[in-house]
Amino acid sequence: MEYKLRKAEPKDVSDILRLVKELAKYEAMEHQVALTEKELLEDGFGDTPLYHCILAEVQGEQSGEDPKVIGFAMYYFTYDPWSGKQLHLEDFFVMEEYRGHGIGSEILKQLSDLAMKTRCHGMQFIVAEDNEPSISFYKRRGAEDLSTAEGWRLFRFTENSLYKMAASTEE
Amino acid sequence: MDFSIRAANLDDCKDIARMITVSRHVCACSRAHLEQDGFSKNPFFHGIIAEVPEQHRTKEGHTKIGYALYFYTYSSWKGRAVYMEDLYVMPEFRGKGIGKALMSKVAQLGLAAGCNQLDFTVLEWNKSSLDFYLSQGCFDVTADLGYHCMRCEGEALQHLAQP
Repeated sequence: MEYKLRKAEPKDVSDILRLVKELAKYEAMEHQVALTEKELLEDGFGDTPLYHCILAEVQGEQSGEDPKVIGFAMYYFTYDPWSGKQLHLEDFFVMEEYRGHGIGSEILKQLSDLAMKTRCHGMQFIVAEDNEPSISFYKRRGAEDLSTAEGWRLFRFTENSLYKMAASTEE
Repeated sequence: MDFSIRAANLDDCKDIARMITVSRHVCACSRAHLEQDGFSKNPFFHGIIAEVPEQHRTKEGHTKIGYALYFYTYSSWKGRAVYMEDLYVMPEFRGKGIGKALMSKVAQLGLAAGCNQLDFTVLEWNKSSLDFYLSQGCFDVTADLGYHCMRCEGEALQHLAQP
């Protein structure tokens, strides 16, 4: 299957949001997506982008049709003070009907290449433990499950509790 | 006990490196890397320091007795977020609200930057920390949603990048 990988541009925000929602639906979490196209535009394409995206595109089915975005990866850079920069893969998704053609593998290869070129020590991501196809996909490629292997648990303050934490005073 | 919380500066890297080395039980953390990575034009992280007055300094003469490191991330569900990479208070200064004050400062800075989520990781055996964080209103994403942290590094990363 012929496809092209490219960096996302401002015009792509509606496709990015569509694929974010499709991935969330795959995880049965579609109701959790509150992000808007306006936020994606401001946060990804301003002076200091807070995230980056690679998109996978195929030609339109009919001649004269626009190319169609059928997969994406959203990523940003994080930091471990002992080992240095890391590339964090926030979302990674290829539409179901386009899987099995190596598109996901090629996206991951480009990201790994970018991680090496930008002197990242590693690439990290969060996966749901019941998402067996994804966990196998990553483990086949040498990823380690730090939650299982080292006992790391992800904790989160959501908006209401974040406000309370910010307002709490010294004891 | 009197203490102050403030943004870290270049001069604090020596003490941050000292506390990282102790807290992570690792070979010496590089002060030079912290200076370069945290205090250049495009920093990869930000720091906050907890300091006590001279009369409370440690036996070794330290007044910088706690720190937090954080950076901005992005949630594909909620947008702007902040990640607290490290939170540490020297053992003899715990139980006085300093850790909470450091975390509160990260929350304030995150909210000011438009974030609506603060994430961090905790080791499952660290019961006192787990209990403390849960009591402050956060939830265990790994336990509740089954999300695992995965990483690809070293040879595995190089192998993935090969054509």
